[in-house]
Amino acid sequence: MNRKVWGIPLILALITIFGLLAALLGTGVWYILSWITLIIPIVTIVWKCGNPTVKSKS
Amino acid sequence: MTQLKNIKKWFWVHRWTSLICTLFLLLLCLTGLPLIFEEEIQQWLSTDAPYAVMPKNTPTANLDNFVSQARHRYPKDVITYIFVDDNEPQVVVNMLPSYASDVKLTHSMQFDARTAKLLKDEPPLNSRPPDFIAVMLSLHRDLFMELPGELFVGLMGIFFVISMISGIVLYGPFMKKLDFGTIRSGRSRRLKWLDLHNLLGIATAAWLLVVGFTGVLNELSTPLFGLWQITDVKAMLDKYKGKPVPKTEDLSSVQAAYQTAKKALPDATITSIVYPGNLYGSPFHYLFWAKGNTPLTSQLYNPILVDAPSGKLTAVVKMPWYLRSIEISRPLHFGNYGGTPLKIIWAIFDIIAIVVLISGVYLWITRRKFYAEYFLRLSAEENNESLITNN
Repeated sequence: MNRKVWGIPLILALITIFGLLAALLGTGVWYILSWITLIIPIVTIVWKCGNPTVKSKS
Repeated sequence: MTQLKNIKKWFWVHRWTSLICTLFLLLLCLTGLPLIFEEEIQQWLSTDAPYAVMPKNTPTANLDNFVSQARHRYPKDVITYIFVDDNEPQVVVNMLPSYASDVKLTHSMQFDARTAKLLKDEPPLNSRPPDFIAVMLSLHRDLFMELPGELFVGLMGIFFVISMISGIVLYGPFMKKLDFGTIRSGRSRRLKWLDLHNLLGIATAAWLLVVGFTGVLNELSTPLFGLWQITDVKAMLDKYKGKPVPKTEDLSSVQAAYQTAKKALPDATITSIVYPGNLYGSPFHYLFWAKGNTPLTSQLYNPILVDAPSGKLTAVVKMPWYLRSIEISRPLHFGNYGGTPLKIIWAIFDIIAIVVLISGVYLWITRRKFYAEYFLRLSAEENNESLITNN
């Protein structure tokens, strides 16, 4: 498996799953952890859309 | 050449599973959006007077009191189930003309749980004007077609899950030469949207897969509950075969039965009481649905059976694994288990999903030349690689 291609998607997936389970299995601080982790994929998207890379080579 | 062939195959799978389900998925995303905030919207649209202010731990009134009021108002009807809310101070008694009647004729009386005062006497759902949330839910769950609709939407969900998996598979070869999140905005509009489709899809892939898969599981709840009824439940009730079914006047006090059930599972909260005779219960028992008190077990319900004529505990029933997995899949689909911020996050993911769907359709419409070139390039690369390895 290509680490350059799959590294970030895999991390985002693990973070998402952690966030989904945190609020399901815990309360209090786990809720907050769940919100913080689940917002990471969203922030990543916004960040990447805000800095589009113009590449001439495809 | 085999790799290219493989990619082409996955492309075919991704294209067709997506095309089949996109329109319905779009509908699911749009109707799902208000459903995330169902509670808030219901509260906001409600014209009911607020509950009387009373000390926080005022106990619930005697259940027999609610029952006798309901029977007094509708002496010809039968009680199907009682809902004991653990969130708001209300008890709702539901009735039908007879146990064989169409469930749609169920009418309900809402009481203040503490004073047993009747708050609302509502006609059956189908003679009330449809409310916004009910319409959204029908569009989301079964397209107004009940079981066939549920199975159809579930099938669309399966197509969606396959389309997600194939999309993830295709992400690999596609990104081979690109950094994560590259958006080539300088060139064609199509290329920009393709990059966006890939970024949005891969960044939300886990959420999309979880919500898609749990949605499919939810659509199977009717047949799986039915399966449980004709297997385990039937086996449990077999020893009562041939015994006379208790009549309304033979029933013991529901309050006493409630206490008995509570004693059987002291750490649980009983939220509903299914009356003997209800098709979703037992002809011989009061059936209490009790949920646990920890974050996880509050999603899991245990049925407690209390013999209706004698009021004695019959059993705390163990639920089969397939119904347990449906219970766990509910919160993971609804997003209603982690406070308002989680609901907002759910809504954002939902909107991202809409963008992925629409961009997918756009990419399909503008496909033509693009893929021919893409495959040609891939095949050229592969030839180069094999040349290198052969040397």
